[in-house]
Amino acid sequence: MRLLIINTLPKDHPMAEKAICYLTEKVAECRVFYTEDMEVVPCIGCNACWLKTPGICAVKDDYEQILRAYLQYDVTVFISDTTLGFVGYKMKNIIDRMLPMATMYTRIENGQTRHVPRYKKEFQFGLLYAGEGNQDYLSHWMSRFCLNFHGISLGAYPIEAWKEAAVCIS
Amino acid sequence: MHFVMISGAARTKSKSNTAKILAAFGAGLNSSGNTSETWYLSDRKQWKRAKAAFEENENVLFALPLYVENVPGIMLEFLAGLSAKEQPGTQISFLLQGGFPEVSQGRCCEEFLKMLPAQLGCAYGGTIIKGDMFGLSLMGGRLGAKLLQPFVEAGQQFGKDGYFRPEIMESFSIPEYLSAKQIRIANGPLRYVQRFVMRCIAKKLGCKTRLDARPLSGINSCGM
Repeated sequence: MRLLIINTLPKDHPMAEKAICYLTEKVAECRVFYTEDMEVVPCIGCNACWLKTPGICAVKDDYEQILRAYLQYDVTVFISDTTLGFVGYKMKNIIDRMLPMATMYTRIENGQTRHVPRYKKEFQFGLLYAGEGNQDYLSHWMSRFCLNFHGISLGAYPIEAWKEAAVCIS
Repeated sequence: MHFVMISGAARTKSKSNTAKILAAFGAGLNSSGNTSETWYLSDRKQWKRAKAAFEENENVLFALPLYVENVPGIMLEFLAGLSAKEQPGTQISFLLQGGFPEVSQGRCCEEFLKMLPAQLGCAYGGTIIKGDMFGLSLMGGRLGAKLLQPFVEAGQQFGKDGYFRPEIMESFSIPEYLSAKQIRIANGPLRYVQRFVMRCIAKKLGCKTRLDARPLSGINSCGM
């Protein structure tokens, strides 16, 4: 399995370090993005990635390498802090910027409208969070977020439970 | 009453559907003898004053577009910078809009919005969810005004009562899901019409490739 990890926590966050170390040992290939070293700005909602330059984000920062990586790896694990029980804004920005993975076209699947995926790939996403996250809500949100990208949610886990999460992820 | 309205949209005010909705809602609000001030988080220069307005006022309304099942990252960043109020009396309400037609698409975000005010030491004043708003940016004149009229009326009601009455929230919550007939039409002939319209819009914007192009995989299915 090829694993992609996107970590918005500081590099020296002790639990994140442990989790990353454990997860990377378990897989054949792994790439880790530490976003504190990167410039990733919020989505500006311009719709260019759908209507003007399909699949290409108009915002030119360090995000495109993450977009490419989503396509190259089997599983993506997000590691985030939390704000008001939800993921932190840095992680939400990372996820908001995934829109180029979908097309502007829509179709109705299982009773709800979905964007038609741009790539033929079944994404798998998991979340490890630090702080006072609302696990029930985060798990629900992950499943909804994955639906939008025609992916599978591997769940949301407090970062202290990284061993338990690793079982679900691998 | 005085109301503080904050747009959580990332799009600049001039191109923002949320800003248009807020303008309509504000018109209704002010017509019933209230006053209001509006702040736009897409302009970071306004954040300091928006924060102060939140701290100093008791009637706050956030308007936002649905972004990946929750609030946009830019709005979450603003919320993260607010401190919980120590004195009770502040109420936060929400106007949530999205492009998909089904109101059910906004329920996951609504769950978060329901939990949010208590974490900021405030009461919850309700959420209006409105779907099918993508076309607003393309409409002007009468059609746009027709689409915005319900927000004017909601603003009038909100201005009178200070919160969203359940029947107002319900009147916006249509459809929760599309009917079987609507789904058949949407997945059938309407799909081709939608694609044609999208391609026309894209062409006007200067798009030179297919809308389902795959530029990052090298599998770009050519021709438009």
